[in-house]
Amino acid sequence: MKAMPTGLKVLNWITGLVFAVALYLVFFYAPREAVMGEVQRVFYFHVAAGWVGALAFLVTAIAGVIILTKADRRWDRVALASVEIGVIFTFINIVSGSIWARPIWNTWWTWDPRLTTATIMELIYIAYLMLRQGIEDPDRRARFGAVYGIVGFISVPLTFLSIRIFRTIHPVVIGNNDPGAEGTFDMTPRMQTAFFFSLITFTFVYATLLWHRLRLQDFREYIEERKMQALAT
Amino acid sequence: MFLQQGPADTVNFMIMGFSVILGTMALYIVSLVLRARSLRKDQAVLDEIDE
Repeated sequence: MKAMPTGLKVLNWITGLVFAVALYLVFFYAPREAVMGEVQRVFYFHVAAGWVGALAFLVTAIAGVIILTKADRRWDRVALASVEIGVIFTFINIVSGSIWARPIWNTWWTWDPRLTTATIMELIYIAYLMLRQGIEDPDRRARFGAVYGIVGFISVPLTFLSIRIFRTIHPVVIGNNDPGAEGTFDMTPRMQTAFFFSLITFTFVYATLLWHRLRLQDFREYIEERKMQALAT
Repeated sequence: MFLQQGPADTVNFMIMGFSVILGTMALYIVSLVLRARSLRKDQAVLDEIDE
């Protein structure tokens, strides 16, 4: 594996620093919510993880468009790396939401529109990772991944809009809540600071992980190429 | 819980939530490190074969 570029080293440090600041804001700067208590602090990273999931799947869809229009297979690495990170952060989003829901909704899980669409979105992208492995030819795999990434992206706005279109108990952070929503709260200025800073922090985390994952993918392809050469001789 | 006077005691759920969030992120970083280490071992074997 090539030596870590200076840009990535700097990004590692910046991400570590902003993450530490985000933890401070979430645990010490943002006030305790008046009704829900301490569990509400999960909200800051719960939403930020959901944001990273959506961003990662958007990057995959954009990479898919580039693969199909320019036939550039390098973008397939970006799509794959981004889906992997998106699946991890969507998992964090769903599970942390379930834990937050337990004391607020009095249940770990309910088939609410937001929870259902988020789960479908997660399964769509897990299937992306599984189905890719069944295609041997790299060009076919890249084209398949590109089309799947573009079509699969429909699940992202659907998940985002589900709490604004359907009747739901899931609170809406920005905008009007459904009358049946439970766990709603008004964000104080300090809560808003912690919230928006968490979104920025997780965007840095995404960029850093994506860069590392791309380097790993490059290294893997280099090793696979060398293995093929070794077998051929 | 909405009929009570003060905030609910939900510290345990907060700890559980952040354990999942930070634990999953840490596991993913560890998986990246392990995958890179495994590839480096493959590279060492390939280097030996080339020699």
